[in-house]
Amino acid sequence: MIQTHDLTKRYGKFEALNSVNLSIEKGKVYGFIGPNGAGKTTTMMILSTLLSASSGKAYVGGYDVEKEPKDVRHILGYMPDFFGVYDNLKATEYLDFYASAYNIPQKNRSALIADLLELVNLSNKADSYVDHLSRGMKQRLGLARCLVHSPEVLILDEPASGLDPRARIEMREILKKLQGLGKTILISSHILPELAELCDEIGVIEKGRLIASGSVPEVSVDTRGISIMQVKVIGREEVAEQILSSDPLVRRVDNKGNHFRFHYIGSPEEKVYLLQKLIAAEVPVTHFADSQENLEDVFLAITEGVGN
Amino acid sequence: MGNFFTNPLISKELRERFRTPKTSWTVGLYLFVCGAIIIGFMKIIANEQTDLLGSGDRLLVIMAAVHYALICFIAPALAAGAISGERERQTLNILLTTHLSPRRIVLSKMLTSILFMFLLLIASMPLYSFIFLYGGVAPMQLVKLFLFFTVNIIFFGSLGIFCSTWIKRTSISTITAYGIGFFFVVGTGVILFFLMNFITYWITDTRMTPMDYPILEWIASINPCIVGLNILEKNLMGESWTIFSQYYWIIFTAFYLVLSVILLCLAAYILKPVRRPWSE
Ligand SMILES: Nc1ncnc2c1ncn2[C@@H]1O[C@H](COP(=O)(O)OP(=O)(O)O)[C@@H](O)[C@H]1O
Ligand SMILES: [Mg+2]
Repeated sequence: MIQTHDLTKRYGKFEALNSVNLSIEKGKVYGFIGPNGAGKTTTMMILSTLLSASSGKAYVGGYDVEKEPKDVRHILGYMPDFFGVYDNLKATEYLDFYASAYNIPQKNRSALIADLLELVNLSNKADSYVDHLSRGMKQRLGLARCLVHSPEVLILDEPASGLDPRARIEMREILKKLQGLGKTILISSHILPELAELCDEIGVIEKGRLIASGSVPEVSVDTRGISIMQVKVIGREEVAEQILSSDPLVRRVDNKGNHFRFHYIGSPEEKVYLLQKLIAAEVPVTHFADSQENLEDVFLAITEGVGN
Repeated sequence: MGNFFTNPLISKELRERFRTPKTSWTVGLYLFVCGAIIIGFMKIIANEQTDLLGSGDRLLVIMAAVHYALICFIAPALAAGAISGERERQTLNILLTTHLSPRRIVLSKMLTSILFMFLLLIASMPLYSFIFLYGGVAPMQLVKLFLFFTVNIIFFGSLGIFCSTWIKRTSISTITAYGIGFFFVVGTGVILFFLMNFITYWITDTRMTPMDYPILEWIASINPCIVGLNILEKNLMGESWTIFSQYYWIIFTAFYLVLSVILLCLAAYILKPVRRPWSE
């Protein structure tokens, strides 16, 4: 559904994007992850026909974003990272405006708008002025806004940034509903856990380069042979830490009392040996496993050393 | 352009504009200024003249001048925020991903900006009835005057829209629109003044007046102040500034309407996010 070939964007001499090759299949939720300034917004704006690439190609639904921008806009809903709402408009009028901007016939609009407000849990705010809504509500209204023409593809730039945890969970629930509706979604974030359970695939971008792409476990293990491990003990913590720190295959030991996290760059056989070492030193180990629930770690592991 | 009232941008814009108290304040203040000046002027006439009949033309000049000054100040400012305001509110990018084409966005913005200006103009029309009270003004003159105002509003509106598209920030775009507007209103007059002096200095043929030279006549015909005074048949600046050709107002209208169209086309071109001049 979304494809880029060697997409490159230069601002003067500065390369904001460097040969990015993305490929997102229909119906997949793709998490686009990278620190601030990595080039996420730039990529998304090129895909949304708002910015021209310096070189390379980009396709949305088979349409070339540069040659057939109108067709791309038909099937695409774009939510920018920062966007404003108009003053003196009510939520329904706000959506009605965009519905008419997408040439949706007047008679279909009120039902459509009611459905959309229902979808984003704003039915009770239908008659509130949009500039009085909270940030979380505005963000959800923005999401409803990019759904007015029922696009197949959604490009959402950091939809959860600046939201409190509750608003974030609400946003995630809505995104799951959209996923259930079969939309292809490209969603970016600089905070990983946000995307963890939602995404079918993730792509990690740093300094304009896509440095890893694939399903979450693929990205974490395959790309660099680094895995993140967790070890929990119920005693002899000093001994455990000493063994871990002195192991040449262990990096970045994070000691939280009786709970260690670290990057491990060895093979499975070597992992076995590490566990045996701990047990031989009579460390009471209760947990020894790869950590996959925390994308933050995956991200740190993958981006380690990039750009230095 | 599509149907006027179903044009989404226009109805949204009108809704937005007429729901703020600022709009009623603007209209109120505008009428107050116009009315105060007229009443003040009527007092002055009453004091110095016993016979009030026939002094309607003087009143008309004052009113037209006030009106023109207000148009010069309000029209560019209204339009200069139209696009840059959307950009500053971070709504422009969203607008550009909808099915509204840049051309349609520019035209709708232009229409709503000048619509408000026309509202001001029409709201102040009853004040012109005072002029007929005093007599001395031909109705045709008034028609020409309103046509003149219309052309000016369209030009200042297009200029404002162009600056608003071209320049990112509303404050700078407003100043630029005023600057360019100033050039056409005052600058052309200054150029004409220098050329006139230059010609009368070098050419000693006394049978020729400066306006006999087509270039000077053309410049005079695009200076709104001179054209306005000619419509009112007032030679406040002396005989030599009078345009003799009957068609000066056609030149004026054509020049500013063509310029407006060019400015609007340029604005639509600049607004296009991904520019591909070789297609579409
Ligand atoms: N208009 C611009 N001019 C110059 N540099 C820009 C411009 N827009 C973005 N950049 C640069 O491009 C890089 C990528 O930006 P962006 O795509 O916004 O990153 P992200 O969304 O991942 O935080 C940043 O380093 C930013 O400074
Ligand atoms: Mg960004």
